[in-house]
Amino acid sequence: MFDLSLSLIEGNLFLKYNHHHCCLDYHRFTITMPNTEPEEATRENRESNDGSFECNICLDTAKDAVVSMCGHLFCWPCLYQWLETKPQRQVCPVCKALISRDKVTPIYGRGSSRRDPRDTLPPRPPGQRTEPEPHPSTSFPGFGFGDGGFHMSFGIGAFPFGYFSSTIFNFSDNRPAPSPSNPDYLEDALLSKMFFFVAMILLFYLLVA
Amino acid sequence: MSSTGENRSSNSTRDSKANISSSRLRKELMDLVMGRDKGISACPVDDTFFKWIATIDGPNDTVYENLKFKLSLKFTTQYPYVPPNIKFISPCYHPNIDSSGNICLDILKDKWTASYDVRSVLLSIQSLLGEPNLDDPLDPEAAANWKKSDFKKIMLMHHAKGEKKSTQ
Repeated sequence: MFDLSLSLIEGNLFLKYNHHHCCLDYHRFTITMPNTEPEEATRENRESNDGSFECNICLDTAKDAVVSMCGHLFCWPCLYQWLETKPQRQVCPVCKALISRDKVTPIYGRGSSRRDPRDTLPPRPPGQRTEPEPHPSTSFPGFGFGDGGFHMSFGIGAFPFGYFSSTIFNFSDNRPAPSPSNPDYLEDALLSKMFFFVAMILLFYLLVA
Repeated sequence: MSSTGENRSSNSTRDSKANISSSRLRKELMDLVMGRDKGISACPVDDTFFKWIATIDGPNDTVYENLKFKLSLKFTTQYPYVPPNIKFISPCYHPNIDSSGNICLDILKDKWTASYDVRSVLLSIQSLLGEPNLDDPLDPEAAANWKKSDFKKIMLMHHAKGEKKSTQ
């Protein structure tokens, strides 16, 4: 009738009665444990060592950590699962602020890149980084907003100074340089060389004439 | 190639789900033991950690003072993404608790989030005892009686009757 059992879980002993009485007085029980430190010290230790970097969902040290805009830390797989569970109401599990896949920042610790990201499904959203602005004071609004550098119409009519002025404006553009693999970029590079060549000939012609 | 990848991913997701639930429940038990919260306690009743029994002391300065309530908690492998199923085992005459022990509490339903745990849920239920939501009663009779001066008397009568029934 009287079923008493002891179990060892993560280094701590738990006493279990027949399930009517299993909610026994833990307080006294934990104090009698041989390895129990004084309450305050234990609490402080726990908080300073683990508490700061524990995932708010699995309560373990965050793996593939991401942090929300509201500052709450999660494992990416844990948070992903939460977002999947409630697709219509995506809120931070801790403070219920709006949260979404694009609004979390991954945290890269030292040496964490060794891990194959494909092992952690789904992949974490990438970090967002903005290029610093090269010359904020010389930026010239109104030019260089096309998607492939300057346009052909700049150079032809305005002989040869038009070309230079457009080039200057284009250089002061504060967008990041287009990717070299982009076909527009290659085309522009070719055009640019051609115009430069034509301009040089004309300039030479002017000087000679 | 891609199909094996998908298989592996779905398997690992399922495994990790079950792992998350049981390892999280283990941690929660540890925290409950170390936390020493006054007036609440909980303990799993089997080795799977998915069934718990909890007790809540009636909060001080309420009609439930000096009473102890026993509750059952049932978790699934979906925990903590879905809330546990919590019921009163002890009889509890309360506007938001029905005669079978079902609890009407928003955080156990649509307001649940994955960072609630056994401890926070038990504390919420404890505070619900003293502060019922009279706008959405589960037991309309108890809700109607709540403001009456003899609510405590009615409640204790129900309590005694329920206790008697449960021991029979």
